[in-house]
Amino acid sequence: MHPVGGVVEASVVTAYQLGKPVRVMGGFFAMALDGMVLTFTPPFAWREYLLQTWFVARVSMLPALMMTLPYSVILTFIFNILLTEIGAGDFSGTGAAIGTVNQIAPIVTVLVVSGAGSTAMCADLGARTIREELDAMRVLGINPVQRLVVPRVLAATTVALALESAVTVVGLAGAFFFTVYVQHVSAGAFVTGLTTLTGIADVLVSMVKATLFGYAAGLIACYKGISVGGGPAGVGNAVNETVVYTFMTLFAINVIVTAVGIQFTVS
Amino acid sequence: MTLTVPSRLHPRLQRTTNVLVREWNRIGSQMRFYATTLGSIPDAVINYRTELLRLIAAMGLGTAALAMIGGTVVIVGFLTMTTGALVAVQGYNQLASVGIEALTGFASAYFNVRLIVPGTASVALSATIGAGATAQMGAMRINEEIDALEVIGIRSVSYLASTRVVAGVIVVIPLYCIAIMMAFLASRAGTTAVYGQGSGVYDHYFNTFLSPRDIIWSFLQSVAITVVVMLVHTYYGYTAHGGPAGVGEAVGRAVRTSMVVAAVEIVLITLAVYGQSGNFHLAS
Repeated sequence: MHPVGGVVEASVVTAYQLGKPVRVMGGFFAMALDGMVLTFTPPFAWREYLLQTWFVARVSMLPALMMTLPYSVILTFIFNILLTEIGAGDFSGTGAAIGTVNQIAPIVTVLVVSGAGSTAMCADLGARTIREELDAMRVLGINPVQRLVVPRVLAATTVALALESAVTVVGLAGAFFFTVYVQHVSAGAFVTGLTTLTGIADVLVSMVKATLFGYAAGLIACYKGISVGGGPAGVGNAVNETVVYTFMTLFAINVIVTAVGIQFTVS
Repeated sequence: MTLTVPSRLHPRLQRTTNVLVREWNRIGSQMRFYATTLGSIPDAVINYRTELLRLIAAMGLGTAALAMIGGTVVIVGFLTMTTGALVAVQGYNQLASVGIEALTGFASAYFNVRLIVPGTASVALSATIGAGATAQMGAMRINEEIDALEVIGIRSVSYLASTRVVAGVIVVIPLYCIAIMMAFLASRAGTTAVYGQGSGVYDHYFNTFLSPRDIIWSFLQSVAITVVVMLVHTYYGYTAHGGPAGVGEAVGRAVRTSMVVAAVEIVLITLAVYGQSGNFHLAS
């Protein structure tokens, strides 16, 4: 082999590899844009949307409940140590409300939507890609983004919003039982304290957060799912990357929306 | 031609019983796998030292696409940075609403150590090294590489699972340090640089309430969580089945299970450590 040719070839390969993240980002945004346009382009895949909503809800419901209870109990517990120390045990309801509505509920929703919902969705789509079902759809003239991606992203959004509400209620109930029956704070004081600092605005901000989480997680899961390649290891890695990327994106969204939303909620 | 099948007595009851028995057996085999994995840790450390070193390097730096964005270190650092920033955002504003925003430093020293860093680190580990282990082992199982290992006389559980548990515990030590430093730095930067609190005020309350004993407990908590997370993830990888789709499903199921188990474990350890007295001395 000619030495100069080797150097050129190596640099081309390096340039190709360096450009890979950029191409992945570009592909992701292209698919997101396609998805946005196709959401409003009939026909909308209603049946797929309903099936996917049920599917995501089914895989996320149990983990959501089982993660909310520990986290809300522990937050209430840590708050109550502090409050009893300064003689303000009556305000444990306030602490539970701030913690649950503003942080625990959105974060548990993040964990469940990305850890349970999007992994299942990516595994399912990845399996279809590996079995070349998506190529078959394209051959039949069906746009996979319209038929598969759009309903999935909307299903993830719907379920995230619904989960957030469920998680808030369950978290507050768990905090109530823990505080009243384990730590012996009076039930009336707890319930009165709930709305001292937390109002409807906080609940709305939490719901906006959950909607954004669901949308972003759905897009990432679908993109990783339809761009799977390379057999069993490829599907496993795609699901792994889905979890990591959704965690990173959703935690970042959480900080930004909290910082913006808190301007409206705290007076 | 008609095919006749002898009717069974109480088919629905039988089906329910079978499902229950299968679940019960699954839990049993899971427990046996965990016991074998933990029991063969000495074997793994003595006999498979090269594989152990390779895994430590691979876990710290991440594999494939995850290595491109900086590997496990950057991911864990980024996640705890965002949750640390949350303390600044939520803590500062919420405390300011009752007029005690000077105590944000206290909130950082208290909540970061006790709840936020172990919690975030557990999900970050499960997502990065845990899910990576399931994906690798699942692919090996589907490609019948694990059977091949057994055939050539390598004890697959200690070679694959025990080494990964040990490597996870070793990797989590520097990762925890990075995680807690990022959380503290993000809280401090958010409070002093973004919200404009005097850094002296912040540092005073932060240093007053930062208890070294809490940090050690928090660190031990993270190590304990890592052991459980790695056990769950290696089990699901080791028992993956059903072709390429099965590997993806196994990764998803492992992440779901390990996050729930880690949450429960955090509660149990926290109640065990701080349950009696709270270990919180306001006046002393």
